[in-house]
Amino acid sequence: MISRKSILAVACCGVLALGVAACGSSSSSSTSGGSSGTANTPLTGAGSTLIAPLMSKWQSDYSSRTGNTVTYGAIGSGGGIEQITAGTVDFGASDAPLTPDQQKAAADVLMIPWALSSTDPVYNINGVSDGLRLDGPTLANIFLGNITAWNDPAIAKLNPGVTLPSTKITPVYRSDGSGDTYILTDYLSKVSSEWKSKVGVGTEVKFPTGVGGKGNDGVSAVLSKTDGAIAYVGAAYAASNGFNQVAVENAAGKFLQPTLGTISAAAAAVKTIPSNNAVSLTDPPKSATNAYPLASYTYVLAPSTSDKADSLKEFITYAIGPGQSFGPSLLFAKLPSQITSADKATIAKIGG
Amino acid sequence: MTTDAATAQPSPLLAGKNRGFIDRFGDRALYIITLLAALLSVAVVLGLAYKIVDEAAPAMSKFGLGFLTTSNFDPVHGEFGAAQFIYGTAVSSFGALLLATPISVAIALFLTELAPRSSRTAIGTLVELLAGIPSVILGLWGIIVLGPVLNDTIEPALHSVLGWIPLFGGTYSLVGLFPAILILTIMTVPIVSSLTREIFATVPPTDKEGALALGATRWEMIKTVVLPYSRPGIIGAVILGLGRAVGEAIAVTQVIGNTAGIHSNIFLPADTLASKIANTYQGADPSTTIPALAYFAVILFVLSLIFNSVARLLVRRVQSRAGRAG
Repeated sequence: MISRKSILAVACCGVLALGVAACGSSSSSSTSGGSSGTANTPLTGAGSTLIAPLMSKWQSDYSSRTGNTVTYGAIGSGGGIEQITAGTVDFGASDAPLTPDQQKAAADVLMIPWALSSTDPVYNINGVSDGLRLDGPTLANIFLGNITAWNDPAIAKLNPGVTLPSTKITPVYRSDGSGDTYILTDYLSKVSSEWKSKVGVGTEVKFPTGVGGKGNDGVSAVLSKTDGAIAYVGAAYAASNGFNQVAVENAAGKFLQPTLGTISAAAAAVKTIPSNNAVSLTDPPKSATNAYPLASYTYVLAPSTSDKADSLKEFITYAIGPGQSFGPSLLFAKLPSQITSADKATIAKIGG
Repeated sequence: MTTDAATAQPSPLLAGKNRGFIDRFGDRALYIITLLAALLSVAVVLGLAYKIVDEAAPAMSKFGLGFLTTSNFDPVHGEFGAAQFIYGTAVSSFGALLLATPISVAIALFLTELAPRSSRTAIGTLVELLAGIPSVILGLWGIIVLGPVLNDTIEPALHSVLGWIPLFGGTYSLVGLFPAILILTIMTVPIVSSLTREIFATVPPTDKEGALALGATRWEMIKTVVLPYSRPGIIGAVILGLGRAVGEAIAVTQVIGNTAGIHSNIFLPADTLASKIANTYQGADPSTTIPALAYFAVILFVLSLIFNSVARLLVRRVQSRAGRAG
């Protein structure tokens, strides 16, 4: 028979033990490391899922360099824009630049491109290996539902020598709001006037045909199990999951898959940066011969006045500087010099 | 003679100076604390309802009741209509109920009347464990395991046997209304079966024994005594399960294909109100899309109010009959 007193004693010991353990773990997590006056100003951010793998590398490296913790919630580009407009986070992250309406609502928010990646059309067709060639108008027609079978003459014309089956095409799209959707629709709007008027550009659009999947995982689950499916995922996701990637034709007539070289070439093609730093890299001009057509910057959204200004400036400077070294393994190309100088000028505008 | 605890008066011997301070005012304090708890939950419901209607107001004034009959979801152009989502919600929930009801009643009958007493708890616990599976896991299982099996085997089989019914059309897909219906069935069975078990337990043993004594077989006893007696209760339980199915968002959104359109073929992808809200809410444009989604939420709220009220009425009928007979 266990007496009440002994139960009480055990409970007290348990609480004490938990308290000691909590104290112990919190003291070991405050890292040592050189820090200037910005020591221990934790930053919170939210937004794009595209940047999330790179962000987690930044978080651990940055915290061991400066002792500052950065917390990030990958809730989607739209969520990031919403949160920074409401002021509930210290910075936001978005693959799509702010629309004029969004910029009006978030009047003091600055856009700073801090990573360079791309979206990748991928497919799963029985009997067709990697590197199927498609051009912009054909890609648009596939997603519009005008081309319905893989052995359509438009596709066959671009792929002489490849036996295309008569399998039905199933476009797969992101059913949740996504920066990848933005990049794809931005590109398709430039190469197809029918797409531009019928569907338009956005992180969330009404796809005329196809099946939706939630998140990159949902899309890849449908893609891998459906013969004849074509989808679009972030380049790093496509590479790490071994999907067959489309070779998209750029304006110079070359069929390219996303690699660090082709993504960088697309970024290098844009020489003049607008004052708000909103740059569209999709469908680069003919002069950029090696440019991949579906590249894009992803932006950090920082308020121009913040009581964590010093900490913010330090983190963003880190991200566009030493932080870029983590990019290549995740298929984020290094930022070109014209963007880095524009970024530095914008970072200087962040004040207390 | 019945003693109603709520109105019993404390004995005069215990009142007044024979009791300490806490004992005298304890009852009053208990009343106030429990009243506050009840009011808190009422406040939450009313607050929620107010907030949803407030958010939906721009969409309600822009689209009016025509929202319920048009089919569209275009965030870029700001055009929305709920019809295809209402269709998806209706078909997936009623389909799930059609499948879940006989299964649940059968499980409840087995556990209350037919199973050997020693195994009843074990089997009952296992069935209720189904309710504990997180919906995300069920959704993942649905798209990775169930979807391909349906697409490759079951849907063609159904089509070849029952293809003359437009429900089982000739196009197969691994995402669609059919996997959604099956997943919702799995989620509804534990609720309906445990409620039905409770209801079967209220059937007066005297009636059951009387039927058996008159020479009825086990099945005849169930058919003539247990089932008719429990019918309103079973309907109530089923309607509560329906409420669950209507509101399920995560598991459904992973297997339903998130596609526009109203088709008679249940193998084709579709979408439901709850699933669309779950997918689209984060990062949606606050000036155009969010009011439309809030309008969806208003529709769901109204539906769930209706289901819950009807269910309560029916379940209460069974309980009052049990009271009268006992």
